[in-house]
Amino acid sequence: MAYTILFGVFTLLMFIGMPIAFCLGIASFATVLYLGLPPVVVFQQLNSGMNVFAMMAIPFFIFAGDLMVRGGIANRLIRFAAGLVGHLRGGLGQVNIVASTLFGGISGSAVADASAVGGLMIPQMAKRGYDRDYAVNVTVNAAIIALMIPPSHNMILYSIAAGGNVSVADLFTAGIIPGLLLALALMVTAYVVARRRGYPAEPFPGFSKVFYYLLASFPGIVLIGIIFGGVRSGVFTATESSCIAVLYAFLVAMLVYRELDWAGFVEAVMGAVRTTAMVLLVIGMAAAFGWLMAFLQVQALMISAIGAISENPIIVLLVINIILLILGTFMDMAPMVIICTPVLLPVVKAFGIDPVHFGVVMILNAGIGLNTPPVGTVLFVGCAVGGITIREAMRTIWPFFGASIAVLMAVTYIPALSLWLPSVFK
Amino acid sequence: MRRFMRAIRPFLGCLSRASLYIAGIGMVAMTLIVGWQVFARYVLNDSPSWSEPLSLHLMAWFIMLGAAVGVRESVHLGLDVVRHVMKPSVQLAMDLTSLGLIAVFGLAMAYYGALLSAGTWTASIPVLGWPGGVDFFPLIVGGAMIALFAAERFIDQLLGVELAADVAVQEMA
Repeated sequence: MAYTILFGVFTLLMFIGMPIAFCLGIASFATVLYLGLPPVVVFQQLNSGMNVFAMMAIPFFIFAGDLMVRGGIANRLIRFAAGLVGHLRGGLGQVNIVASTLFGGISGSAVADASAVGGLMIPQMAKRGYDRDYAVNVTVNAAIIALMIPPSHNMILYSIAAGGNVSVADLFTAGIIPGLLLALALMVTAYVVARRRGYPAEPFPGFSKVFYYLLASFPGIVLIGIIFGGVRSGVFTATESSCIAVLYAFLVAMLVYRELDWAGFVEAVMGAVRTTAMVLLVIGMAAAFGWLMAFLQVQALMISAIGAISENPIIVLLVINIILLILGTFMDMAPMVIICTPVLLPVVKAFGIDPVHFGVVMILNAGIGLNTPPVGTVLFVGCAVGGITIREAMRTIWPFFGASIAVLMAVTYIPALSLWLPSVFK
Repeated sequence: MRRFMRAIRPFLGCLSRASLYIAGIGMVAMTLIVGWQVFARYVLNDSPSWSEPLSLHLMAWFIMLGAAVGVRESVHLGLDVVRHVMKPSVQLAMDLTSLGLIAVFGLAMAYYGALLSAGTWTASIPVLGWPGGVDFFPLIVGGAMIALFAAERFIDQLLGVELAADVAVQEMA
């Protein structure tokens, strides 16, 4: 009965449209009352759930990403990408994907990527005769790369949801090859579709121009090294690196590029507060919910339920992928990672799957969910920027979905794609 | 009731804007503190012990104040697919249930936060030296504000007044 209350109340409240953080809190509160436990325990868990130093990296990385977009760092990375691959067939599509990969190295937000890269590339692509649905589909699918390439605040979210026992440095490193593989798969898909539709190639600007673009975008590229190198070598923690990203982006935008003014800075601060406070509250509330799940031994129940379907890790991972893809169609990424990780991680561990490997699978899977309606945040942003309807985008998104799912399957069933690189650093 | 709501609206607007700004200042302060922590460790060779607990305390304020503003501005992070396909009368019932429960839960946060604060008052927070109960202040204040803003939107919905979120956006603009 307690399970029914915990999950029943949560699901019911979610379906009436209550913000997820409160669904978690109220379901926990109701369950505690039913069990006759002291209600104060919910708020004690909530308070300690908000007291995790690693959480601070989430607002910092979002804030840093916004500063980089406003301060001209993102623009210069896109221009560098244009110089590199613009001359390929359907070049602007390729530029879009390479720019997303570079942007992913400084920000971990797919939404920021879709609005920054899409905001610049989609109008340009439309002007050069590309269909808008193609421009939007390339943008929104490429935006997922940002989740995989470090820094990725979603990886930090996973690490927190996993109880802080999975190394952020390992997760960051593990995302690199799958992220690049996704970029490659999308570039091939974009190229094939572009050939079929007869999209143009841009003139090559010449090596000296490309070199100049590289120099101009250098501060952004240096930041990629600072964040990853700092976390990987243990010079700073993920939270400290996110803070350095903020300070660095601020200094570059204010003093080097001089494209950020105080009004822009205040807007970036407020944007970060609005975007992340609710996510952090979800983490806090999930601590209370997670405590109850452990109390009710939900994880053990899940292990035997999934074990009843199959004992084979290949099938287990397939089942979990399908569950996550379905959840991803109607759940936002952050709540999904926060809620599903404590439930599913013990299951996959019981079947001998590495938590770092599973983290990469989970993030990629939830990332694909950002482009699947009815709730597809990145797809919505892309369509809004591109001025087309979701239906128009969905009609031609399938080759790109195909590429993303193929990469998801490869990452799921070839653990070395995620685990080889972290092992090199050990 | 309408007149009452109109009378207190400017106050609620100010409160919400002030919370947003305080949360923003909190985030900038957190950045500076953590930045200082790295600088002190590598340049001054002297890791400050106060930086982590202080920034954590600021983060609790940041979360609770930001989330309270989120309740007023209807920053969702929720699922509204089902709600969208319902008749307006059912939508209203769903919204009232949701907001009513959030208001009650906000009050519970404030009440149990106060109990926890009182219970831990004599303890002391390591390094900072503050009474242990201070740790729960964000929960108390944030809970009360969540309850207040949820109640505001509940009454607005009931009266069929424009959503507070729209008002807030106009205030911002």
